[in-house]
Amino acid sequence: MILEIKDLMKSFPKKKGEMVAIADFDLDVEEGEFVCILGPSGCGKTTILRIIAGLESQTRGRILLNGKEISGPGSDRGMVFQEFALFPWRTVRRNVEFGLELKGVPPEERRERTQKFIELVGLNGFEDYHPYQLSGGMKQRVGIARALANEPAILLMDEPFGALDAQTRNLMQKELLRIWSETRKTVIFITHSVDEALFLADRIVVMTARPSEIGQIYEIKWPRPRDRASPEFAALRKQILEQLESMVKIEE
Amino acid sequence: MSEEESRGLDEALELLNKPLIKNSIVTIISLAMFVATWWVVAILADLVYLPTPPNVMEALIDSFANEDPNLGVTMWQNIWSSLQRFGLGFALAFLVAIPLGLAMGYSKIFDLLAKPVVEVFRPIPPIAWVPFFIAIFFYFWGPIMVIFIGVLFPLLSNIYFGVKSVEPILLDAARTQGASRFQIFTKVVFPYTIPFLMTGIRIGMGIGWMCIVAAEMIGGVGGGIGFYINLQAGLGLYTNMFAGMIVIAVLGLLTTGIMQYLENVTNRRMGIR
Ligand SMILES: Nc1ncnc2c1ncn2[C@@H]1O[C@H](COP(=O)(O)OP(=O)(O)OP(=O)(O)O)[C@@H](O)[C@H]1O
Ligand SMILES: [Mg+2]
Repeated sequence: MILEIKDLMKSFPKKKGEMVAIADFDLDVEEGEFVCILGPSGCGKTTILRIIAGLESQTRGRILLNGKEISGPGSDRGMVFQEFALFPWRTVRRNVEFGLELKGVPPEERRERTQKFIELVGLNGFEDYHPYQLSGGMKQRVGIARALANEPAILLMDEPFGALDAQTRNLMQKELLRIWSETRKTVIFITHSVDEALFLADRIVVMTARPSEIGQIYEIKWPRPRDRASPEFAALRKQILEQLESMVKIEE
Repeated sequence: MSEEESRGLDEALELLNKPLIKNSIVTIISLAMFVATWWVVAILADLVYLPTPPNVMEALIDSFANEDPNLGVTMWQNIWSSLQRFGLGFALAFLVAIPLGLAMGYSKIFDLLAKPVVEVFRPIPPIAWVPFFIAIFFYFWGPIMVIFIGVLFPLLSNIYFGVKSVEPILLDAARTQGASRFQIFTKVVFPYTIPFLMTGIRIGMGIGWMCIVAAEMIGGVGGGIGFYINLQAGLGLYTNMFAGMIVIAVLGLLTTGIMQYLENVTNRRMGIR
C-alpha cells in the first residue's frame, strides 16, 4: 500500500459555524495504481488532492505515504495543475529542472536527469521555448515532466486536461497512459468527466455531494487501450452519470 | 514614365506603407508643425521672452561649443553634473526601495509596520522637500536627496505591487516541488517582480528628471541643467533658457526611451510577450 487515507475530514470556517467540505474519506491506493476521483462540482475533489499534496491541512484524519504520515508539501508527491502553473520566465528545460535545482543538483547532472523526462513527454526540440510559446497540450506536457523529474512516489493530477479542447484532451489521455505504463507511477487523477475516468482508471472513486464521502468505487478491469464505443463502456458510463445526476438533485 | 521609373515609384510607395517608416514620417511632420507654429507665434508676438527657433538653435549649439561666460562651464559639464546627481539619487532610491518593497510585499508584519509611514510620506510632492533638503544637505547632496525621494515611491509601490500579484498557484507549484520559504522567495517571488521593477524604474526616471531640474533651480554647485536654466532666466538670456529646456527634453526622452527598450527586452526574457 503506497498511500493510505484514513478517516479524512475537512471543514472550512464560515461566517456562522463551519462548512464541512469532506465528511469522511477513506482510501487505500496500491503501488502503480491509476485511481480516478470523480464527483459533482464543489464536492471537495481539489481539497482532497491539496491535502495529500500538503498544501492544505486536514481537520481530522491521517494520510500515510509509504507508511509515513505526511505533514506539509514535499517533493515525494508530484502535482500537476489544471492551470499548468508553469513559471513563465523559465524555459521548458528550466521548468522541468526546477525541483532538482532546489535540491542543489549540479547543472550538468540536472540536465542529464531531466532530458529523459523531456523526451518521455515528447518535448524534445522545445527545450528552449518559453511557456507562452506553447499550446495548452504542450504546456501540460511540461507540467507532467516537471512533476516526474523529482521522481515522486506518487503523481497527483487535478483535472490536468480540463483546460484543453476535446481533441487535445483525448490525445493527452493516450499520452498519459503511455507515460504511466513507462514509469509505473502511482497516479491519483481528478476529473469530472466520466468518460475520461473510464478511459484511464484502474479504479474510479465516485464521491457524493457535500458533505462529501465516498459514494461508490468501481474497479475497471478492461484492458487498455479502451474502446469508448464499446457497449460495456457505454453501459457503465450511463450508470455512473445517472448516479452523479441523482446526487445533484439531492443537493438542490 | 519609363517602366524603370514606375517600378522605383512603386517601391517608394511600398516603403511608405511600412509601419516604422510611416510612423517616423508622421512624427517628423508633427515636430515640423510644432516648430513652425512656434516660429510664427514668436514673430507675431515679438516678445523678449519668446525667441524664435533659429535663435534658440544657435544658442544651443553655442552652449555646447563654448563655456558660458557667467557659469564658466559648457553644456556638457552641466549635463554631467545633473546626470551625476540623477545617478546618485537613483542609486540611493534603488538601495532602499528594493529591500523595503520586497519585505513589505512578502512579510505581513513588515507591511503593517512600514505602510503607515510610507502612506504619510507618499503624498508629499518631491519638490516640497527642496528647501528642507537644501538646508540640511546643502547644494551637492540636497538635490540628490530630492531625486531620491521622488524616485523612491514609484519604485517602492511597483515592487510591492509585483510581490503582491505573484500568482498563488505558482507558489503552490514551487511548494509541491519541495521549495523552502527562502527558495520560494528567491526563485519565484523575486523573478516575478523583475518586470514590475523595470516599470518602476521607467516611471521613476521621468519623475527623477522633473525633480533634478526643480532642485537645481534653487541652487547647484558646479552647474547643472536646472541651475543653468534658472541663471539664464535671471540674466534675461531667454534664448539660453530655452536651449536648456530643449536639453532637458532630449535627455528625458533618451532616458525613458532606453528604459522602455530595456523593459521590453526584460519582458521578453521573462516570458512575457
Ligand atoms: N480555502 C477555502 N476556504 C473556504 N472554502 C473553501 C476553500 N477551498 C475550498 N472551499 C470550498 O470547499 C468546497 C470544495 O471545494 P473544492 O475546490 O475542493 O471542490 P471541487 O470538487 O474540486 O470542485 P470543482 O469540481 O469545481 O473543481 C467548495 O464548496 C469550496 O467553495
Ligand atoms: Mg477542483
